[in-house]
Amino acid sequence: MGSNPIPAESEITSLAGHRFPGGFYSVAHWENFLLTECTGAALLPDGLVHPVALFHIPIAGAGTSIADMFALGQAESDLSIVIESYDWETYLSIREETRYAVSGSITSAKRCRNDQGNVYDRIQFCFELRTPDDSLAARVTITWHYTRNML
Amino acid sequence: MTLAVGDRIPEWEMASVSSDRMRTMAALLRDPNPLHWDRDAVDALPLGLGKRTINQGPLGLSYLINMLQAWGGPECLRRIMMRFPQVVLDGERVVARGEISALREEHGIQLADCSVRLEHDDRGVLLEGTATIIVPEHVILVG
Repeated sequence: MGSNPIPAESEITSLAGHRFPGGFYSVAHWENFLLTECTGAALLPDGLVHPVALFHIPIAGAGTSIADMFALGQAESDLSIVIESYDWETYLSIREETRYAVSGSITSAKRCRNDQGNVYDRIQFCFELRTPDDSLAARVTITWHYTRNML
Repeated sequence: MTLAVGDRIPEWEMASVSSDRMRTMAALLRDPNPLHWDRDAVDALPLGLGKRTINQGPLGLSYLINMLQAWGGPECLRRIMMRFPQVVLDGERVVARGEISALREEHGIQLADCSVRLEHDDRGVLLEGTATIIVPEHVILVG
């Protein structure tokens, strides 16, 4: 456990409202094949993408990356992030080779303390995927804890 | 086929969580976190986990989805919200389990709300949360 400087609380709370550039993402067959294999399931029929893709499609499609999201919250290391929750809402099935428009933003950023009194920053990201005809296909909410001198 | 609140979802087993799959997943996700591919990095944490690798959160979550899709069909998932009280480690046997907590209709679609969790024989609940699935049309809701 190190003794890293903790960012000013205002630097964290000011992240709320940050918007990612946005963009588009299509899942290739090979990508769906490998992702699905990682889950231990058989490939889904009719070009359906395994919902596990709802983690990385929004991030990459919105024009950001896991590393960028770590950096935005001034993570003290790649090891210091703890997942609070993932909330995946699907309105339409995700399909291979379909070009989804992706938008994303930081919806909440606040300083917290755990039961032991340790400081951490709770940052919540929300992304939306839309089909080529602008129908909402999925909404994904990622909530991470940026631990400070805990791990 | 009938469904009622309290019915159990047929469980789904991952017999051994694979470090190779974590590596593939890390590459696909462009996930820089060494917890998923560097045993020494995990060993150095003050968590007492030893030389193991930690499964990605989305992969643990995917086991719950596999359970739901095996039961309700490949397009059944409407929503899943998971929390991660414990990590999942390579080599572990984990089992996805769940029950129906509510049955309801929304815009003419029959939905089942479910309580779901990923369990380890010794360490108990590793992931827990809720899911909503679309009930197939041929299923009769009871109660």
